[in-house]
Amino acid sequence: MDLRFTEQQEILKKSAKDFLTKECPKAKVRELEKDAKGYDPALWQKMGELGWLGFNIPEDYEGMGYSFEDLTMHIEEVGKNILPGPYISTVVNTFAVVAEGSDEQKKEILPKVSNGNCILTLAWLEENGLYDASGITLKATHKGNDYHLNGTKVFVDSAHVADTMIVVARTKDGTGDDGITLFLVDAKSAGIKTEVIPTIALDHLCEVTFKDVAVPAKNVLGKVDKGWPIVQMLIRKGSILKSAESLGGLQAVVDMTVAYSKERVQYDRPIGAFQALQHKMSDMWINMGTSKYLLYEAAWLESEGMPSAKEASMTKAYINEAYKLVTALGVKLHGGIGTSSDHDVPLYYRRAKAADTVYGSTDYHRELVAQQIGMK
Amino acid sequence: MDFRLTEEQLERRKEFYKVCEELDKKKPKSYIGFESQFHDEEGWNFHRLCAREFAKRGWLALGWPKEYGGSGTMMDKVMLAEARGYYDLPGIDIFGVAMLAPTLLAAASEEIKREFLPKIASAEIMFCELWSEPNAGSDLAALTSSAIRKGDEFIVNGQKTWNTGAHFADWAFGVYKSDPNAKKHHNLTFMLCDMKSKGITVKGIPYMDGAHVYNEVYLDDVHMPAKYIIGQENEGWAVVNVLAGFERSNIDMVMGLVKALEEIVKFCNTNKRNGRLLSQDALIRNKLADFASSIEAVRTLAYRVADQQNRNEMGLMDAAAVKIFASELLEKFGQLSTDILGPYGQVKQSKFAKLGGIAEYNYQACFVPIVSMGTNEIQRNIIAWYGLGLPRMK
Repeated sequence: MDLRFTEQQEILKKSAKDFLTKECPKAKVRELEKDAKGYDPALWQKMGELGWLGFNIPEDYEGMGYSFEDLTMHIEEVGKNILPGPYISTVVNTFAVVAEGSDEQKKEILPKVSNGNCILTLAWLEENGLYDASGITLKATHKGNDYHLNGTKVFVDSAHVADTMIVVARTKDGTGDDGITLFLVDAKSAGIKTEVIPTIALDHLCEVTFKDVAVPAKNVLGKVDKGWPIVQMLIRKGSILKSAESLGGLQAVVDMTVAYSKERVQYDRPIGAFQALQHKMSDMWINMGTSKYLLYEAAWLESEGMPSAKEASMTKAYINEAYKLVTALGVKLHGGIGTSSDHDVPLYYRRAKAADTVYGSTDYHRELVAQQIGMK
Repeated sequence: MDFRLTEEQLERRKEFYKVCEELDKKKPKSYIGFESQFHDEEGWNFHRLCAREFAKRGWLALGWPKEYGGSGTMMDKVMLAEARGYYDLPGIDIFGVAMLAPTLLAAASEEIKREFLPKIASAEIMFCELWSEPNAGSDLAALTSSAIRKGDEFIVNGQKTWNTGAHFADWAFGVYKSDPNAKKHHNLTFMLCDMKSKGITVKGIPYMDGAHVYNEVYLDDVHMPAKYIIGQENEGWAVVNVLAGFERSNIDMVMGLVKALEEIVKFCNTNKRNGRLLSQDALIRNKLADFASSIEAVRTLAYRVADQQNRNEMGLMDAAAVKIFASELLEKFGQLSTDILGPYGQVKQSKFAKLGGIAEYNYQACFVPIVSMGTNEIQRNIIAWYGLGLPRMK
């Protein structure tokens, strides 16, 4: 047992921090919230050059081939800074292509993603708001060499600027796990309409309607009717990586709050000298401490190819709540200024709510945990 | 990062679990949960039985230097605590083995080490702590019990309180004011004494459930030999800090929670209410899953503390966080499990009880880890002051 970061992880963390401090200050974060695209194409290009977009893509496909654990540590650092745009979703979605894509699909998509030339998004959730297979109703009908897609997806990350969508569709009647198929769809295909949904983090999640969208049968990702396990894999890996981002944000807010409480003077002393505030900050820190190794354990299991579903769900359920709690305390401990959109803490507070909806809510993951701990 | 135990460690762990599983079968019925070794003779005899079984295998001296009879590694110590916690077994004298022995190794004279370490390692003597006083709890330095030196002895007078297990202990370590004129933190002496000494009176303080765990200890002209001073005369505060500085991973408390969760899941899987298994109640599923996630979070952090201990690194904040979080999780569990049992949540260990009465027991016993070993509020100060660098209270 050795629960320290490896030397390589320390380097990865430092380089992520240095890059984002320079390239993505909070002024840019605010600017991108209001920007029509919601991400900075020039910054995206630089990330591609640095290898960030091919972090987990095998070297054979022009990626960096780092381990899942390294990726987790890297994303944690990204979360500290905040990086607007479909970075995490693109990275997570590549796992589906790496694991299930045909040679042709891999050659077509992975180098493009890695080099910063493809935003890869996942069209999964629907208006019923369900995270499990029964929520999938978008129909894909086989016609000749094509499938025709009809239906509506919501909360699709940056669909309006995406190049390729992985669309989760139903190819067989029913509501179960069986009969779900994944398609690689050109986001500019005829019949696709996207509209940005105004969300709490202003993070450009879209409604996407599909009207008779023709997709060549060769664009099926994985096996027909057997796509749900791929979604489950994305939920598992995505839960860990989204939690890493959240943990980074959580740490940033702890640091900001502690620093502010040492500077802000009231009643002739820094407010951090008051025990009422000290104990709240201790609780923030405890939330951080307990989140960390839960996440690292899940990341390590996933990285080693060991069963990690239970730990991934525990991590997502736990950090969802910890992030909201800690950022709310961060707002309150800053007093009036903490409630202003000019202040950085609310940037994280809003993102804590947004993060909890991605890759499964707290209650969704608790249900998975209940199954995993043997509840009948 | 690597959470894996080595093959050798896994083998060792198996051995710890095997011995603990066997001892669990010998547990008297009255031994309901942690701290039960102090409740009565039966509990105390079981504690001594477990301690002797551990001692036989050298497990009370894990991680000690070989020259004092030590064997194994710090990680072995952690794994034994894990197994013991899972089966909710006593057998480790928290005052002698867990607190005093490492303090002696760090701060005592060679003579003292040679006299006491073997007796601790062999489970021959059990210790208690004469520490808090009626007006000196968290603010220990405010204590007033006096120790006046007369030649080779100290004459000690005063009252100590919250002395867990003092009614069974053979020896005590304590701290007394030995120089009324010296400055704070340079006026205390840390000494060992035989609990059979003349002038010591032990009086029980009933816990809220009526159990005998705590005591008051009255000291009337007790003669304590000066050769049992630890560290320097009048510099006992430094020894207090050495003792308080040994972080505990508290993995035993965490594993107690792991077992408690398993038991309640089993209960929910086999008991129906209103024609439906309790395990199929969405609210119960949600709450137990939340509880399971919190346990895993603190379990991994406890391993972080253990990993640091194993490398002789300080993990003050992590250890404080585990202590706070695990004990408050036990409090929550006391509430949750009594709720799940419905009206049976209030029933004491008896033929009427469900889950052997452990829910009712934990609902009350949970405050022992919360207020002892530095209350959770003191632990929060530790995180705030030493970890976050916030200004210290004067």
